[in-house]
Amino acid sequence: MKDKILFLPLGILFGFLLSRAGATTYDFYAQLFLFQDLQLLWVISVAIVVGLLGIGLLKLTNFKALVGGKSIDFKGKPYRPSLIPGAVLFGLGWGLAGACPGTVLAMLGEGKLGAIFTIFGIILGTYLYGWQVGLRMDTKPQPSADQIIVKPDIIS
Amino acid sequence: MTEVIVWDGWIGGIAIGLYAIFQVWLTGKLLGVSTGYGNLCSFTSRLPFFHRDSYSQPNNWRLWFLIGIPLGGLMASFTSPESLNLSFSLGDMYNTVIPKPIWLRGLLLTLGGVLIGYGSRLAGGCTSGHTITGVSLLNWPSLVASAGFFIGGTVTVQVMFNLLV
Repeated sequence: MKDKILFLPLGILFGFLLSRAGATTYDFYAQLFLFQDLQLLWVISVAIVVGLLGIGLLKLTNFKALVGGKSIDFKGKPYRPSLIPGAVLFGLGWGLAGACPGTVLAMLGEGKLGAIFTIFGIILGTYLYGWQVGLRMDTKPQPSADQIIVKPDIIS
Repeated sequence: MTEVIVWDGWIGGIAIGLYAIFQVWLTGKLLGVSTGYGNLCSFTSRLPFFHRDSYSQPNNWRLWFLIGIPLGGLMASFTSPESLNLSFSLGDMYNTVIPKPIWLRGLLLTLGGVLIGYGSRLAGGCTSGHTITGVSLLNWPSLVASAGFFIGGTVTVQVMFNLLV
């Protein structure tokens, strides 16, 4: 856990690069989804190709992390039923706010004050998810209660 | 609004791709941002979700990464020819479709944020974790998620710019 402080300069570098890449410029989001200017599509697709090559190289050489020396876990995020609806909801917000979770933080640093609202919203949305997960956990051990609630729906 | 220097798309792509590799090479941690917003919830919420699994120790690398990114934005604006300019402007295009009154603008951006935050938790990641990292790993659920991101974004922007104006 000592390496966590390393992520402060890493975050600074990432935020700086997002800005230089145009990912903190609202107009590029509108132009991307109107298919007028593919600046951000270039950024994303070239980044993926570079990442693909780099990760391939790290895998081939069985590289250990420089800090900590552990071998790197390249396991991808799993599929789950909520993935597609979640991704589309994310996209709807992405287009509306003209920002994503990383870029909106860099926008705040650039003095784009609308980012304050978007960041507040992201925290709120994350909280909403955590709250919903909690509800599901609370109801699980009481299947009889669920049946009582479900019955009137079936009749109607 | 602060006008920042913007590189050509492919140069920006190389830079961000190299960054993603550099991070994992240095720290062994794959690039991702949206999970970190849950760390912020851990400090104020007692909901169990924000105190287990990835959130069992909320003062972790994701928190420091999230603190660093705005500072990077600040540096990017300081190194641009125009000085830092605090503004609620959303740029030429969004300014034409998003109403000017600050409360309405704030409401819409908050709604956008809620969709981003809630959606990314449902999907398990965002444009960094799924699209850049996940697709680089050739992880098919990440490719599906990325398609969903683009579909949603296209729907909102097409509706906003073609139907409402």
